Amino acid sequence: MDAVERAITLPATPREVWPALTEPRELSVWFGAAVDLDVRPGGRGVFRWPDGTERPAVVEAVEPERRLCFRWLPFQRTAAGGTTALPATRVEITLDAVPGGTRVRVVEREPFALGSRRASTGGGLLARIGT
Amino acid sequence: MKRAPADRIFTALADATRRQVIRALSEQGPSTATGLAAGLPVTRQAVAKHLGALADAGLVTATRRGREVVYQISPRPLTDVVSWMADLGARWDERLAALRDHVVAARRQERR
Repeated sequence: MDAVERAITLPATPREVWPALTEPRELSVWFGAAVDLDVRPGGRGVFRWPDGTERPAVVEAVEPERRLCFRWLPFQRTAAGGTTALPATRVEITLDAVPGGTRVRVVEREPFALGSRRASTGGGLLARIGT
Repeated sequence: MKRAPADRIFTALADATRRQVIRALSEQGPSTATGLAAGLPVTRQAVAKHLGALADAGLVTATRRGREVVYQISPRPLTDVVSWMADLGARWDERLAALRDHVVAARRQERR
């Protein structure tokens, strides 16, 4: 898979975890950035990092207590006021109830997949990093 | 606008035909535009244009051999993409660890 994929099991129910993903005040506690996010499909967001960079995002999908998807816009604003182009990756966070808590899975995917045939075009390398 | 190396590469690869071209190049090894076009559903001119765009992004290198130009895949930019992906993964590791701390602390508070 041409994506970064991470997962963690938390000792809480999906209902308890969901606000941590959707309340900007709570998101800001763990995301590493001050988050301003309108959590509904089409909602806009801005993530502001302590170093002064800012990155906008758009919410793509919301399934309460189950799934949140947002897409980074393809640029960020630097502290100096410049702009840097970045891949418009899509972030998908899913919650699954498991014995003892909630499995939180994050997939951040490239704007497109390189295709199923790995050859030596990089798909294989990305896949190794991503899993 | 300044462009991060990873972004330049993704932009170059955003075109389906260019991905076909680079895949063919990786399978056939160093080739000319004519040689690549033989196995693709596009003209030699189109392949040459795409090879030019891929070369601009640093994904392929062009070497003149007599009257021909031979193209081959350049591994360096893919290393940039891999390091960008690795950086992304490390950030999510940090975030998820912080999320766990936050959720555990929030639950403890609720139980008080």
